[in-house]
Amino acid sequence: MATLDLHSINKSFGTAKVLHDISLAINDKEFVVFVGPSGCGKSTLLRIIAGLEEATSGQIVIGGQDVSDAHPVERGISMVFQSYALYPHLSVYENIAFPLRVQKLEKTDMDARVQRAAEILQLTDKLQLKPGQLSGGQRQRVAIGRSIVRNPKVFLFDEPLSNLDAALRGDMRVELGQLHRSLEATMVYVTHDQVEAMTMADRIVVLNAGRVEQFGTPMELYHHPQTKFVASFIGQPNMNLIPATVSDVDGTGLKVTLDGGHQMVIPVDTLGVQKGDKLEVGIRPENVTLGEDGISVDISVLERLGGVSIAYGKLAGQTRFCASLPGDVNVKEGAAVTLTMAPEDCHVFDASGQVLRRKSAPALVA
Amino acid sequence: MVNVVEAASFKTEAPRKRVLSEAVFGWLLIGPAMLFIAVIVAWPLAETVRLSFMEAGLGGEEYVGLANYEDLLESRKFHDTIVRTFYWMFLSVALKLILGLIGATLLNAAVPGRGLFRVLVMPPWVIPIAIGCIGWLWLYNGYFGILSGTMMSLGITDGPFEFLAYKQSAFYSAVVTDVWVGTPMVTLFFLAAMQGVPRDLYEAAYVDGASRWYRFRRITIPQIMPVIVSMSLLSAIFTFNSFEIIWILTEGGPRGATTTLIVDTYKTAISNFKFGEGSARAVVIVVLLGAFSLIYLFFLNKVNKYYGSGKK
Ligand SMILES: Nc1ncnc2c1ncn2[C@@H]1O[C@H](COP(=O)(O)OP(=O)(O)OP(=O)(O)O)[C@@H](O)[C@H]1O
Ligand SMILES: [Mg+2]
Repeated sequence: MATLDLHSINKSFGTAKVLHDISLAINDKEFVVFVGPSGCGKSTLLRIIAGLEEATSGQIVIGGQDVSDAHPVERGISMVFQSYALYPHLSVYENIAFPLRVQKLEKTDMDARVQRAAEILQLTDKLQLKPGQLSGGQRQRVAIGRSIVRNPKVFLFDEPLSNLDAALRGDMRVELGQLHRSLEATMVYVTHDQVEAMTMADRIVVLNAGRVEQFGTPMELYHHPQTKFVASFIGQPNMNLIPATVSDVDGTGLKVTLDGGHQMVIPVDTLGVQKGDKLEVGIRPENVTLGEDGISVDISVLERLGGVSIAYGKLAGQTRFCASLPGDVNVKEGAAVTLTMAPEDCHVFDASGQVLRRKSAPALVA
Repeated sequence: MVNVVEAASFKTEAPRKRVLSEAVFGWLLIGPAMLFIAVIVAWPLAETVRLSFMEAGLGGEEYVGLANYEDLLESRKFHDTIVRTFYWMFLSVALKLILGLIGATLLNAAVPGRGLFRVLVMPPWVIPIAIGCIGWLWLYNGYFGILSGTMMSLGITDGPFEFLAYKQSAFYSAVVTDVWVGTPMVTLFFLAAMQGVPRDLYEAAYVDGASRWYRFRRITIPQIMPVIVSMSLLSAIFTFNSFEIIWILTEGGPRGATTTLIVDTYKTAISNFKFGEGSARAVVIVVLLGAFSLIYLFFLNKVNKYYGSGKK
């Protein structure tokens, strides 16, 4: 079956090393999303899997077969490009049929496959048009159609939705999810949009500067980020990171003094932490509430989105802070408020950005 | 905060009254160019047409009606010249296009040192044609020329071969030189067009298993087809009117073997002072090229429709 394993993939362009020792084991029929900031090497990794780029070292195994030196067709992959890469001079039909023409497939067989792809993607009445006559979303569908007619084992997508407007992107996210379920194929999907990653993925690979920061399910990444980078990358609005100093360590957790003077005990593993250490405490904007006891924040901007109001402000020590409050909350721009947070909701990161394991985190949904 | 009241006040201002209507303004803009074209193109052209109805020489002009044209139509030699001109044009243009396509493909390939090669194709185009042709005169020379010399030492000929002295060899030698001069421009235009083809298209085709040749045939050629068609038209007109090369190499000889319409016109009008007959020939050239261009534009339109992306 179409599992995809990467063993110690390294890639350098000249002297610039862009991928560092990447190993991943992707299951059959899994939808895996590579996410990370621009330039972190997502596309490069995807192109190495596709066979468009050669890894400097490492091994690629698809369905148990080493395909490190194989042609893309032999790998059994197909790829959808960010730019769609449709052939402008060919009709929709010919675009979709292109891989089959290359294979010199018989006419009736080809016809059947193109028609089936067109049906799945609702392009049946567009087959005779040229790409220039289609909307962005339809073009994207044609590109997907071209990738499914070959019945590949692994689908590769490089930011396929980034050229679409927000509403269409939402629709296409749902459609791609349905496609994944109906095709029952392994899919690898690159994006820099963490919302896309969270909503579509079975599992997410967070890449940063050519390294895998974490590989896990969306809720795992949300509740148990292994590093500060993952914590601030996943979740919208971003997690707040408050500088803190360790004032005591005992069995129940870590007693810290936050920037601004507020003190709290956070239930995390305290192995190797000493009094006086500088740390960062992470708290998600949605995990704070207005209250009596807590941190004091000067609100500078309040965005009322209806259901929620996002408040942006600063702690006494100038750390920026963001809170997601109820939609009709009675808070004014320019005022100071006190925000309460539960110690169990806090994450703690050491100076190197690694997390201290949370002792009491919510159980993960299956 | 945006001051909404202030922003809205822009709209209350009355629209400015237009001083000039759009059409008048348009004519004013293209006026100078029109005047320029009238002086350097339209007037000489009209003058040529007028002269073609005259028996005109150094001594004066006399109206002869269609006599000049009748002479031309009856002349066997003129027929041969027309046929020869089209043969010259098709042969030379075809070679330029084929060589240009091959050259551009090679220059576009990711080979080391291609930057240098891209510069090296330029000289035939950049060197003044007269100087280039004098170089070719030496190459074609039977006694001192490198071509004849090589052929002798290889035993292909047993004596000096004067390329420009025989009807056939002179014609094809002139074609070779014309191709040498004309190919770089074609090559560079094709190269520019090829570089405009998005890399994604090739990568997508590669992932789908298309071979290098298949990609060339089904992506490169269709993508640059509009440029190929326009370049063929441009190149055809240049070649049809190519004068200096033939004139420097052979002056249209031997015995008319390299006389194309343009050379014939020059010889008649300028060398033999028969301005009327020369003008009639010039008018024939204008008509032929005009018809040729129309056919081409029609064709180009078709090609753009067929190979275009369907955008209006
Ligand atoms: N052909 C190349 N030659 C040299 N460097 C390259 C090449 N391709 C990519 N890089 C470098 O590799 C790094 C990773 O590039 P890559 O395209 O994989 O980033 P990405 O994560 O896909 O970013 P984005 O989200 O902007 O698409 C970048 O620093 C880039 O400059
Ligand atoms: Mg990318």
